[in-house]
Amino acid sequence: MHSISSVKKPGTDTPAIPAPEGYIPESPDKWEVQLRKGSLELAILAALWEGRLYGLEILRSLESKSDLIVVEGTVYPLLNRLRALRLVESEWVEADSGHPRKYYRLTPAGRQRALGMSRIWARFSASMTNLLAPLSGETRKEEP
Amino acid sequence: MILSADSQKTIDAYLSALHRQLRELTDDDVNDIVEEIRFHILDKTSADASPEAVAATLSALGTPGELAGRYRTDELMKRAQSSSSPLLTLHSLFRWASLSLVGLTVFATSVIGYTLGGILVIVGFFKLIYPRNGGIWFNPRPGGKGIDGSAGFSFGSGATWTHPGHEIIGMWLVPIGLIVGSGLLLLTFRFGSWSLRKFWRPRALRQARQE
Repeated sequence: MHSISSVKKPGTDTPAIPAPEGYIPESPDKWEVQLRKGSLELAILAALWEGRLYGLEILRSLESKSDLIVVEGTVYPLLNRLRALRLVESEWVEADSGHPRKYYRLTPAGRQRALGMSRIWARFSASMTNLLAPLSGETRKEEP
Repeated sequence: MILSADSQKTIDAYLSALHRQLRELTDDDVNDIVEEIRFHILDKTSADASPEAVAATLSALGTPGELAGRYRTDELMKRAQSSSSPLLTLHSLFRWASLSLVGLTVFATSVIGYTLGGILVIVGFFKLIYPRNGGIWFNPRPGGKGIDGSAGFSFGSGATWTHPGHEIIGMWLVPIGLIVGSGLLLLTFRFGSWSLRKFWRPRALRQARQE
């Protein structure tokens, strides 16, 4: 049997929601980090949807258009893998910066893959939103 | 912005280490990867080339060993998925086993499959070469009720060696050992390759989910 402790709402003395012993409400949530990181493949394919980009541009695009936590040392091997899977193709292009840059663009297979993943994402997101609807009132109440 | 001599030295050392760690890849792939990382570092430090900025950029990439490991494992798995070499497949499965429970399960199953298949083939060959010294025998229990099964081989006893029990399949052991053993070896290899194609998630993707 798990013993039950409780989480108190900030500024109140009354317990709001029973929580398992050991639950630390303020601790960083690994699940959220995993969720963001798990979206990286789709995010990269989406970043390349409108045209070719080089590695650093992809990183900056992800950082500016989303709050994904992007690990630079993860993105380049992932791009290499997507290239091996023929979802993206790459080419070296001379640039004004004084050195060439390796640009990536989606292949037709990559565009198909991005569309397929996007559909799955939309369906999943809609079903989760529907499922979580009863919690939305509680979430709003807990927001400061 | 111009890099200081110390910063340039740090970057060169990082890239040299990366180059060494990528040894399992082809020269073209290694050069391509190292150049891309070099230009990434130069772009990132173009506005601020201080030693602290260089250190932060290299830290974001991970150590050369970590970065190379992400490329190397993916490359190994990619080659193994389309390879006809059981050794390469087994090597890949061994690497996979150290990364996930699924990999460990596939590797353990493969080791059992290869071991059983190998034993059966050896038994078939042994029976072919030394027909009297190898076989599967059943020994009647004392008192005549039931039987004890035993399989035995004798090495170095010569043609006069005889097993006290009753040999049950005789020379059928040769085709059974060779055909079933070879089939099991082939099936195990196919299972390993199929598992790699079906279940292997690129290390970069998996790490992205874990970090």
